[in-house]
Amino acid sequence: MTTNTIAPNRGSKFIPTALPLDDTRGIWAMWMVVATEAALFVCLFGAYFYLENNKDRWTYNTPPAEHWGWGMLGALIVSGFTIWLGDRAVIRQAYLRARALLACTLLLGLGFLIMEGFDYASHWATLTPYSNSYGSIFYTIESFDALHVIVGVLILGYVLAMPRYAPARRAPYRPYRVAAIYWYFVVIVWIAIFFLLYVMPNLRIYGF
Amino acid sequence: MSTTAVAQRLQSIWETPKSVWGWFATVDHKEIGIRYLVTAFLFMCVAGVEALIVRVQLARPDQALMSPEMYDQLFSMHGITMIFWYASPILSGFSNYLIPLMIGSRDMAYPRLNAFTYWSFLFSGILVYVAPFMGQAPHAGWFSYVPYTLYSYSPSRGMDFYAMALILFTISITAGGINFITTILKMRAPGMSINKMPLMCYSTMTMSFVGLFGMPALTAACIFLELDRRWGTHFFSPAAGGNPILWQQLFWFFGHPWVYIVFLPATAIVSMIIPVFSRRPIVGYSYVAVSTMLTGAVGFSVWMHHMFTDGMSDMTMSFFSAGSMMISIFTIVQIICWVVTMWKGRVVMTTAMYYALGTIAALVVGGLNGVVTGIIPLDWQAHNTYFIVGHIHYVLIGSNMFPVFAGLYYWYPKMTGRKLSETLGKWSFWIMFIGFNVGFFPMQIVGLLGMPRRIYTYPAGLGWSASNMIETVGAFALGIGILLSIINFVYSRRFGQIAGKNPWNADTLEWDLDSPPEPYSMVHLPTVITRHPLWDNHDESADPNDERILDNGRLTYITTWLDAKVVSIAKMPEETIAPMLLALTMALCLLALCFQLVYWACGGFGATLLVAFYWLWPREKGEEAL
Ligand code: HEM
Repeated sequence: MTTNTIAPNRGSKFIPTALPLDDTRGIWAMWMVVATEAALFVCLFGAYFYLENNKDRWTYNTPPAEHWGWGMLGALIVSGFTIWLGDRAVIRQAYLRARALLACTLLLGLGFLIMEGFDYASHWATLTPYSNSYGSIFYTIESFDALHVIVGVLILGYVLAMPRYAPARRAPYRPYRVAAIYWYFVVIVWIAIFFLLYVMPNLRIYGF
Repeated sequence: MSTTAVAQRLQSIWETPKSVWGWFATVDHKEIGIRYLVTAFLFMCVAGVEALIVRVQLARPDQALMSPEMYDQLFSMHGITMIFWYASPILSGFSNYLIPLMIGSRDMAYPRLNAFTYWSFLFSGILVYVAPFMGQAPHAGWFSYVPYTLYSYSPSRGMDFYAMALILFTISITAGGINFITTILKMRAPGMSINKMPLMCYSTMTMSFVGLFGMPALTAACIFLELDRRWGTHFFSPAAGGNPILWQQLFWFFGHPWVYIVFLPATAIVSMIIPVFSRRPIVGYSYVAVSTMLTGAVGFSVWMHHMFTDGMSDMTMSFFSAGSMMISIFTIVQIICWVVTMWKGRVVMTTAMYYALGTIAALVVGGLNGVVTGIIPLDWQAHNTYFIVGHIHYVLIGSNMFPVFAGLYYWYPKMTGRKLSETLGKWSFWIMFIGFNVGFFPMQIVGLLGMPRRIYTYPAGLGWSASNMIETVGAFALGIGILLSIINFVYSRRFGQIAGKNPWNADTLEWDLDSPPEPYSMVHLPTVITRHPLWDNHDESADPNDERILDNGRLTYITTWLDAKVVSIAKMPEETIAPMLLALTMALCLLALCFQLVYWACGGFGATLLVAFYWLWPREKGEEAL
């Protein structure tokens, strides 16, 4: 066996000043949270299709109305852009701009929740979670999404309230980026829900 | 600076204050790891006693020591506790304690999250054990099939506690998985590239990924169950378009990967121990590593073999039957590697090695009868009989309990500074091993003779009576064997032989540290150049210029995930009570949900958020350091 030594880190005697401080662990954690949350939604979608299986034209006759859904989709996609721009602003140290964009994202998130309320109301007349298995899974998925958006809005509010965005030397290191990753996830989940639960049943009408 | 001065400085930086507050607030992975081990072991003892009561009831035909309902609750609590609150947490305990030491890091990647996983594990266990005092324990077995668990058949709160406790438990496991993955991929000692890390890291990482993608199915299932039970939805009621099989699909989509969560890290313990006591590197390191990961991946495509009797298409049956057979190949690869390692080495028969060998013996039996159960016609006969009970115990005791005991005998000296008594240990092993075989082998025979599982008694004259008596005797012998080891743990804590740094002449980094290790683990962060750091002639802690001390705060290295080059320095958090509070508020929120107390639950949720915000709020203190 050979004995070779590891080259001293950057040749410095005092390593801490030579090496940067790690600020990536929070981001890793958030990616993994997103992965497991995504798996949760996959299970919910799986349940949706599993329950639909073997049913006699489950949603085909009365697909859910889409109009609020489109509005919600628009709001969330725009909010995804605003937070992305905000994240770039943080990197460029334009903290005021970042804060303003974060506020926009937050308002769009709130707008989404209000529209979701109207969306609920519009379905409730004909369908409740107690009507049948379709109602149960439909509202469960919706409410899970709403819960995620509520938590997302709270996270955004929290980051908005944070005193400063400059690089920190203590955790939380990059709250803005971490919140943004979560928010992208919320956006993507709504796109999936909207497509699977709203658009597809409406398209299928034309199939018959 | 002299080494002692440095050590003192590190000590003052890393030490947890010895106070009540410090006890609740500690984030030290060693402390948390030991707590995991002790708590899970206690859960095992409780569940073991439950099992022994079950065995007493079954010892003779037509016994009526307890009501059928009581029996149901006992075997359910036994299964639930063993599977959830013992089998996996005890392995998390090992990984928590050992992984940072093995990879030469001073702590886990997220120490506070680590504390949170422990507390939420503990509180979820308490939650499920509160149920019996609220009227009824869960009583539908560990997998709680609907419709029996719906409100109409199980109106009391036992099943609500089951669902809520498991939700908290999944959170704990998921958080733990996130922590292990980041730790293993980012915190390895400089030079410990991914093909040099100990096999324990591979299995812990695999089980963490499996948890990340498997646990949500259980969460979803439990939420559906609770909604159906108490909130009037129709996921499982066919009359309103629901489907009871949905529960089975979701549960087993989680449940089978879970089997590998409780199995893989345990096999890794064996993979760590066998080379040390064969005095040579493991044969086929890469094969073991790859088959570990493949087991985790393929483990996601076998879940329907628990449901063969439900009825399904030929295609589905063939697919899942083939998947189940395939997965055994990966286990065989591991076993062959162990056997060849011993064959090529010079075996030293310590107690830990006895347990490791016991593992191989039991795992082969359990694995074989697992493979035959994967054959569909046989499964149709054996399903729901004692054959399956025999099978699960051969794999669970064989590949979880024996490795755990092997691990305890092997690492106890590191954790406490004293060796366990070998004589007592060997007695304990033999009594456990014989008791286990006497107790569980006949189960397979009575199973094939037709004895169903989960029955509270049986009439005489079916040819089952003698075997059942033997099983009970064997089970008690197993219990006595475990008791001997417990006595050994307590006795050797005070009177055991002093272990020193490396009593076994082992190869991995944790054996380079004091026993028990200091709070800061090592003065010089190690560098690694081979797979067997302590067996090569590279001095891991050689650091003449004191470059790798990092004594300006709680610091450790962050390295690249593939070849472990140092890229940055991680600052570790101080003690905080927030993780415990967070687990507590979550548990209270879920407890309120067990009783449908909506306002209380909302209060609990709000409190959870407040604690989370308190936890994450940036603080100025300590900014100046570093
Ligand atoms: C002290 C040694 C043990 C004894 C005497 C024992 C005994 C039993 C018996 C008799 C049953 C069947 C109950 C019935 O079907 O009516 C059972 C079920 C079970 N045991 Fe054990 N067991 C022991 C250890 C373990 C361990 C270590 C594990 C897991 C790590 C475990 C996991 C299970 C599970 C999952 C079930 C199935 C429960 C159900 O039907 O839902 N057991 N045990």
